[in-house]
Amino acid sequence: MTKVFPALVLAALATGALATAALAQRAPAPNPNPFAGNAQAVAEGMALYNRSCTACHGFNGTAGEFAPGLGQPGRRYNRRSDAQIFDAVKNGIPGSAMPAGAGRLSDEEAWKVVSYVLGLRGTAVDAPAPGDAAHGAEIFWGKGACGTCHMIRGRGSLIGPELSNIAGMRKTNSILDALTKSDHRVFGDGGAIPHTLLPLATYQRVRVTPAKGAPVEGLLRNEDSYSLQIMGMDQQLHLFDRAGLRAVEYLPGSLMPSDYDKRLTPQEFNDLLAFLTRQAAGRETATPSAVGDPD
Amino acid sequence: MSRLLGLAKLAACLLMGMTLATAQEIPELVKPDPKNWLTYSGSYDSQRHSPLRQITPSNVHSLAAVFAYHMAGQRNLEVTPVVKDGVMYISQYNRIDAIDARSGNIIWQYQRQPLNDGAQRGTTVYANRIFVTTADRHLLALDRRNGSVLWETAVHDNLQLAGGAPLVAHGKVIVSGNQPNGFIQAYDAESGKYVWEWHPVPHSADEPNARTWAGESWKTGGSPIWLSGSYDPESRLVFYGTGQPNPVWSGATRAGDDLYSDCIVALDVDTGTLKWYFQTTPHDVHDWDSEEMPVLVDAVYQGRPRKLLLQANRNGYYYILDRTNGQFLHGTPFVSQLDWSSGLDANGRPILVPGHDPSVQGTKTCPSTAGATNWPSPTYDPATGYFYVVAQEGCGLNYLESSAPDAETGYLESPREHESWQLYVRALDALTGRKIWDYRQIASHHYGPGLLSTAGGVIFAAEELGQFSALDARTGKPLWHFNTGDMLTAGPISYSVDGRQFVAVASGTNIFAFALPRAPGAGRGR
Repeated sequence: MTKVFPALVLAALATGALATAALAQRAPAPNPNPFAGNAQAVAEGMALYNRSCTACHGFNGTAGEFAPGLGQPGRRYNRRSDAQIFDAVKNGIPGSAMPAGAGRLSDEEAWKVVSYVLGLRGTAVDAPAPGDAAHGAEIFWGKGACGTCHMIRGRGSLIGPELSNIAGMRKTNSILDALTKSDHRVFGDGGAIPHTLLPLATYQRVRVTPAKGAPVEGLLRNEDSYSLQIMGMDQQLHLFDRAGLRAVEYLPGSLMPSDYDKRLTPQEFNDLLAFLTRQAAGRETATPSAVGDPD
Repeated sequence: MSRLLGLAKLAACLLMGMTLATAQEIPELVKPDPKNWLTYSGSYDSQRHSPLRQITPSNVHSLAAVFAYHMAGQRNLEVTPVVKDGVMYISQYNRIDAIDARSGNIIWQYQRQPLNDGAQRGTTVYANRIFVTTADRHLLALDRRNGSVLWETAVHDNLQLAGGAPLVAHGKVIVSGNQPNGFIQAYDAESGKYVWEWHPVPHSADEPNARTWAGESWKTGGSPIWLSGSYDPESRLVFYGTGQPNPVWSGATRAGDDLYSDCIVALDVDTGTLKWYFQTTPHDVHDWDSEEMPVLVDAVYQGRPRKLLLQANRNGYYYILDRTNGQFLHGTPFVSQLDWSSGLDANGRPILVPGHDPSVQGTKTCPSTAGATNWPSPTYDPATGYFYVVAQEGCGLNYLESSAPDAETGYLESPREHESWQLYVRALDALTGRKIWDYRQIASHHYGPGLLSTAGGVIFAAEELGQFSALDARTGKPLWHFNTGDMLTAGPISYSVDGRQFVAVASGTNIFAFALPRAPGAGRGR
């Protein structure tokens, strides 16, 4: 009994916390931000931000030399509400290098910056593209042949990026670019300074020729001065020590086609985008039936 | 007047009963025992060179990790630990952990509230003292044996101290900071009493350098000072680099050279008086501060013995100065990508190539704002005569937010994302700047960690994404490596305990220590 008791207490606490959070979601306090959702204010907030905050943070919300990016998909934010971010802008963050900005920004200006910062964090799933997502799924697995490289919830191929949460990580524009441009931004952060070790955000094509045996072609998952980790076109992971290799060639171009707007009809393209902008882990979207594959 | 002041000082000293202790040079700091690493750069000359020679190119392949010490509550450690008599001291803001430098076992911890994980880069041992810079504008001396607070001083003028390691020279604890503008301050190491301040940006129109700032633009002049300096006990001069002027990427409101921003300065250790300055980037609009560690070397230069100061600067030039008077002797690019200047004139002033001011549409300039090198320290090996530096080859884009004269600004590190920088460990002939060898750090694209040279002929060079590498000092050939599994953004050190040489480096939230394996069973107790 005594052994079980703490677990019970923890469970009760956790349930209580969840219930409180759920209640808070149902009846949110009125948003104090007079500019919430105001596109003009977001644009003005961006200009104010780039004028007032970029000594430390990077331009356009990216990571800067002295402070983190503010719209990074991988980051967990301590301050999420309009009021919390407003407080940080006006009063700084105690115990950190973030200074109080009260002397420089008026309340109105600070709220605009808040609107901009919150806008930075939105991803595709927050405003999924209109269209027939179920039809988009058919295009994804069928005519588009996306599944020959990509995987969604266990279905598809290991070669390219896994897309189950693509709409929770990327903005709609970024997904559009990936379908239509060869040189697209593959990660949302754009930050200058990596702070944690992450798998490569790029999918560099590479051909490795070992001292013995046939060359291996695939996509670089990681490398350093001493080793390479490659996902081969054969969907096998290949691990190499540089010391034993005859050649490492970095191949130009991407495996990803960039002409989906041409190889698909406009309707098919829109529906594919509708499907992709709803692929978000653990999120309910407007058309739940569109999530997952039709099998 | 000055005599009166002197008498007053003397009386104060007598009152405190520390006439002898005050303003004394500590022999172990002037000529450090090779087994210790007492200051940020290992020695006053900032050569970051360890005289230890147990680890050599022929045995380094068997170097093995001895311990990893986790610095709880911190992140991305940029700290250089210090070591005295077998005890390692790891500092952060508000914090020092003292550990057994052989085993990694903690001995004591000092934690002033609250926990702070800002970038704090080191401290200094001074006799039985060790110093803490706090996040709430205080400087502390602890007893290095148990962490007891010996004195606690509120920073003069209520200024915030930067993360650079305090430097203790001639009985003064020298610290620096950024806000509102750059400053260097000195405190008495025994009592904690404030002694002097020097600031690179004028505080009034009467200061001579105010003329080098248009109008009253000096009022928001910037020039942060956030890295430790070097010291020459013979001339009693401390050498520091100063930061960039404000606004960072726009010079429109501050026509002139903006002195003493982006300078190497020599200050009298006892008074803070400016002895000389050398400005590397006059009227800087690229954030090329001059903080990079000034390395002091005595050498026969062009036929006569000279006291030199060497610096690989963020702006892409390698400088050789006479440190007794600041005279410019030589300067040459140490990166291949340098397009903003076509050379240096006879006084070392850069000859500008037009078209590199930041613009609304963005202006490409090489090196980028983060520079051809940055705060990670270089090293000088007296045996090879090489100056080793982490060279950052790459370009950047500098933006103005609008065409207004007071427009704020920004930058991107590479004009195109796939044209990211490439980092190299680069050996230069110290007296000419000529490149001797390059070691390309594959997958290192941002701010390499600092370097260490050792008398054994091995250079220790960490790589950004976790590899800790040993290179042959003469050839740059990689000899050994260890993946720490986390970001590496700190400089390594070497020390010895009981005759065993260790090499240690901070990575992520851990300190890793390495040594050659001992005979099986050796050191086993009950």
